[in-house]
Amino acid sequence: MNRTRRNVIAGASIAVLAAAGLGYEGWRHLAKGYPPTPYDDLLSLLPDREPAKQVGRAFLTANSGFVPARAAGALRQRIAGRPLSTVLQDELAQGDIIEAGHWLLPQTLVGLCALAAKS
Amino acid sequence: MAFIDARQIPDGTELTPDLAIIGGGPAGITLALALANTPIKMLLLESGGVEFDAATQALYAGEESGVRYIPLDATRLRYLGGGTNHWGGWSRPLDRIDFERRDWLPFSGWPFPREEIEPYFARAQHLIEAGPFLYDKLANGVLPGPLLPLGKGGLYNSFFQFSQWHGNPQHLPTAFGHRYSEQLKRIPNLQLMLHANVTGLRLAKDVRWLDHLDVATLSGRKFTVKPRHTVLACGGIENARLLLASNDVIAAGVGNENDLVGRYFADHAIPRDNATVVVFGGEIAGYYKTTKDAQGAHFRATISPTEAFRRDRQLLGALITVEQHVGLDALGQAAVETASGALGINASEAHAYSLGVGLELTPDPDRRVMLTSARDALGMPRLKLSMTIADDDLARYREVLNELGRQLLASKTGMLRIDRHSRADWLSVMDWGNHHLGTTRMHDDAKQGVVDANSQVHGLANLFVAGSSVFPTYSASNPTLNLVALTLRLADHLKGVFR
Repeated sequence: MNRTRRNVIAGASIAVLAAAGLGYEGWRHLAKGYPPTPYDDLLSLLPDREPAKQVGRAFLTANSGFVPARAAGALRQRIAGRPLSTVLQDELAQGDIIEAGHWLLPQTLVGLCALAAKS
Repeated sequence: MAFIDARQIPDGTELTPDLAIIGGGPAGITLALALANTPIKMLLLESGGVEFDAATQALYAGEESGVRYIPLDATRLRYLGGGTNHWGGWSRPLDRIDFERRDWLPFSGWPFPREEIEPYFARAQHLIEAGPFLYDKLANGVLPGPLLPLGKGGLYNSFFQFSQWHGNPQHLPTAFGHRYSEQLKRIPNLQLMLHANVTGLRLAKDVRWLDHLDVATLSGRKFTVKPRHTVLACGGIENARLLLASNDVIAAGVGNENDLVGRYFADHAIPRDNATVVVFGGEIAGYYKTTKDAQGAHFRATISPTEAFRRDRQLLGALITVEQHVGLDALGQAAVETASGALGINASEAHAYSLGVGLELTPDPDRRVMLTSARDALGMPRLKLSMTIADDDLARYREVLNELGRQLLASKTGMLRIDRHSRADWLSVMDWGNHHLGTTRMHDDAKQGVVDANSQVHGLANLFVAGSSVFPTYSASNPTLNLVALTLRLADHLKGVFR
């Protein structure tokens, strides 16, 4: 087997694995039954939307003025394409924490949870 | 010399020691021990015997109003050893900030800095039998388990040490009466009289000198003690009662020309189960939940705000303790899963615990003890305690909890839920430390304090007060170690007075 052929096979294998991975994620997404929302770019940052919804609902109980579209805009601006963990660590360093169901959490995480609960 | 039973003293006797010490609790006993083998002839007058006695204890009964507090005859003990007969042994020195006058904290500040009592801590530590004086230095040595990583921030791992009565088979804290009774009997310049209740501090006509003490027993004997100097060491509530009740010459009571005696009472507020902490990485080290031994000390970790954080955020002292393992409800589990997942932490071994705390209160002149028209078996007016706790004090502690929650997440150590919200909610879980503070506060200015920096009652050359009633600001630290240190300082001062 020459080097070119080996490279082609390796590339193809990676592509197959990646497709399988994406397919699994898509299947998992569909299996949980999430309909598309205008905030999927944000909600996809959450590790698991189900527990996040619970947290979000607890937050909304005490914060009835939450407007998803406005919150989503603010979240996108705040996250600005950075990894969520980086955003959260920055907020924790600055003391930007709020309560959701009396749990103290970073503001952006609570915002994402509230969006999940509203979606 | 064997202890003397005041019930055997003939009516009308007049005793003339150099120094009368009223009260055989930790302050009174410390003073007697510290002045042993000096030329000062001491007479220590203790109301109770060497064991609990219901009739004597009943002299403590009183009324309360305001915020629920412990009944006045249950929050203290009236027999030799006083409060050390039921203390838990929790010990910790006052912090430097506790002595500072803070503009944002009304009535704050001692008339001297911490350095003034630092030289006495080692001997005080020895008397309370709490091992080597390490406290927060324990963090630098070997501990049985890891410290909770808190990262950078306003809270840090701090430590209590515990009194352990030397040779006591049950490892109880040192009960001063039992522990030191044989030593007290061997002091040649001390007479220790049991069942001797001081019922009045009688001033000379010029009101600048304490002339004599009226003493009575429950069996009906009455006699007088005419000392050159007197130290009042009956505890934070009874010191005020005796001063207020001695109102035959000055209507407001001895030392109370400026209406300060009995005011500024404080205790450490202990709201139970006030928060839940989750530790992501597994079980917290055992020394957070209970006492352990290391580096020669019997100790327990606590979490407290740094002095810098307290200054910056205008916060009071707080010593947070990890209490019991608790389960999490569905929301709690969801919060842990969401937060740990978002921060990229494995929380599959997470454990949750309830938190307790000992809180310092803001000095408040309206938190006070006052005389009532009711009388005890000796004819002494009983007391009423008006108890308060400010919303600000609870809000300040919430800020401490907020910072702890932030630090736990930032350091990827865990997370926190605040479990108390409304004032009623906080008060529903409120317990108290049985630490009676502040009723004869110390201040250089007679208009702001009952005693001066030497614990001498302003305007009375021969009356001193020992114990935590002189603390003008309180700290969150338990008082016994500190009041013993302060009493040792007073002993040195008295040696000079008698020289």
